[in-house]
Amino acid sequence: MPWLGVGLLIGVLGIAALIPLASYDVVADVDPTRAFAGPGLRHPLGTDHLGRDILWRMLLASRAFVGPGLLACLVCLGFGLPLGAAAGWFSGAVAAVIRYLFTVVQGLPRFILVLLALSIYGNRPSVLAIAAGLAYAPTLGEAIFERIEGLRSSEFIAAHRAHGVSETRLLLVHLLWGACRRLLARHLLALFAFLLILETTLSYLGFGVEQPHPSWGNMLAFDLDHDGSGWMPLVAPATAIWLVIAATVWVRQGLAEEEHGA
Amino acid sequence: MALALGREALGFVLTLLGAVVLVQSLLYFAPGDAIDTLPNAEELRPVLERQWRLGESLPIQIGSYLWDLAQGDLRTSLVYRPGMPVWEVIARPAWRSAQLLLAATLLATSVGVGLSFWTQGRRHLTRPAVWAVSIVPVFLLARLMIHLLNTTTWSMMQADLIARPAWFALPLEDHPLRWALAVSILAIGSGALSEIHSESEGLLRKIRASGYIEAARARGAPLWPSILRNLLPPLTVAIASRAAFFVGGLVILEKILLLNGIGAILWQAAVSRDYPLALGITLLTAAAVGLFRLGADALRLWWDPRRGATA
Repeated sequence: MPWLGVGLLIGVLGIAALIPLASYDVVADVDPTRAFAGPGLRHPLGTDHLGRDILWRMLLASRAFVGPGLLACLVCLGFGLPLGAAAGWFSGAVAAVIRYLFTVVQGLPRFILVLLALSIYGNRPSVLAIAAGLAYAPTLGEAIFERIEGLRSSEFIAAHRAHGVSETRLLLVHLLWGACRRLLARHLLALFAFLLILETTLSYLGFGVEQPHPSWGNMLAFDLDHDGSGWMPLVAPATAIWLVIAATVWVRQGLAEEEHGA
Repeated sequence: MALALGREALGFVLTLLGAVVLVQSLLYFAPGDAIDTLPNAEELRPVLERQWRLGESLPIQIGSYLWDLAQGDLRTSLVYRPGMPVWEVIARPAWRSAQLLLAATLLATSVGVGLSFWTQGRRHLTRPAVWAVSIVPVFLLARLMIHLLNTTTWSMMQADLIARPAWFALPLEDHPLRWALAVSILAIGSGALSEIHSESEGLLRKIRASGYIEAARARGAPLWPSILRNLLPPLTVAIASRAAFFVGGLVILEKILLLNGIGAILWQAAVSRDYPLALGITLLTAAAVGLFRLGADALRLWWDPRRGATA
């Protein structure tokens, strides 16, 4: 399953990178006469309640979370990694202060923290990404701290030190790269999934990407008739959200197994 | 044990203090003037400048907020219920939300632990099935369940199999089913059930392989008391660490299912930029999460004989 997850994630990233090259007009595609058309050659996934092509909108919607997801990962790395590494490496008062900061941020529900930031700083994708990255940074930092603190006084580090390896090289190469890279990747994937959930939830509730621009979240926010006509507009984005979350979990599980086996 | 609990309580107070500093800093560093973003800015400006001490430095603003907080004053709502003290706005909804949260936690725990007894130690299709349903985000699970319930009921009504139920169509009609749905979705969605299930399975594996269970088995004594006594303390702590996720899910669910709770009010406060109300609720949720963790630690110390001996 991990390789299927990697494939799916590369596919999503690729689509998000290439889709701006396509000439799809989100406004011109509206045609109520073909609303809820079933899947066919012209519209492989059918059309939605306004007659818009679901497949095109699905592909276009990948941009709504991929860009902010990557930015959130960068922000999280920028704060969580150095702070966690410093706490683990120096211990004592430095570790106590940094870990207190981690505890404070982790004490607030992440979703609420992001919602508050969006309310104060404006409802923009960049704010969403930065807030999500900062809200997740303590979780990453705490994991890095625990790993480095556990290994700092281990025999292999003592042996490297005895061979004259510098302290900087010990921390950057042997601890952060050698012992933490899979842990880092796991947490960044978890953050990516968190951002997807955040973005789709906010867009579904009308506080994220606004119509006519598509998001997998706002594609789900329309009234279906009770007779269930046109089920594809509901099933397609729901499946896509599930698949991306599942892909991140599969890759994380694969990384964890590799780490325990290593 | 008292010393350990005292340390935990001190940590809780310090964390809450840090949360006040954090949320006040978020407002302080907002671009421009926080009052400018309000819909009725000019009308409120003279009062708010004085009340929020906007001209003062961040430490003074924080000190002023803490002083008000120490007197039980969370300030007044600006947009949601203009002029009404925040505490009055949130007191009753907070109680309703707490009940929902507690019910969801108990449901997730009982189902997760029950399933782990059934699936532990054997290859079982239940495990991937629980995982596949549980990773669905709370909003999506709510959307799908509401759709499924409404369409199924509508089909049965069209076929004259049933009369129109009192709750039809969700979520517009007020009915206990809406509350039950919220509890179930919160207990299952966003990984809640699968995490508790797998945590419980892992603990059970360790406990069943331990020496004291072997000894109890050799004596012919019942195993359940020993298993539960060793399973519940660490599991409670693991569940408490998920408290913040439950609270986040609560905001989403109350908004979708139109439940009148603290989450729905927070959503309104955030969207309409009612800062005192949003900050008050944020701090209340931080306190609730902290208290939940403190309670879990107290239970662990009380239940676990080994922790009690070393504390």
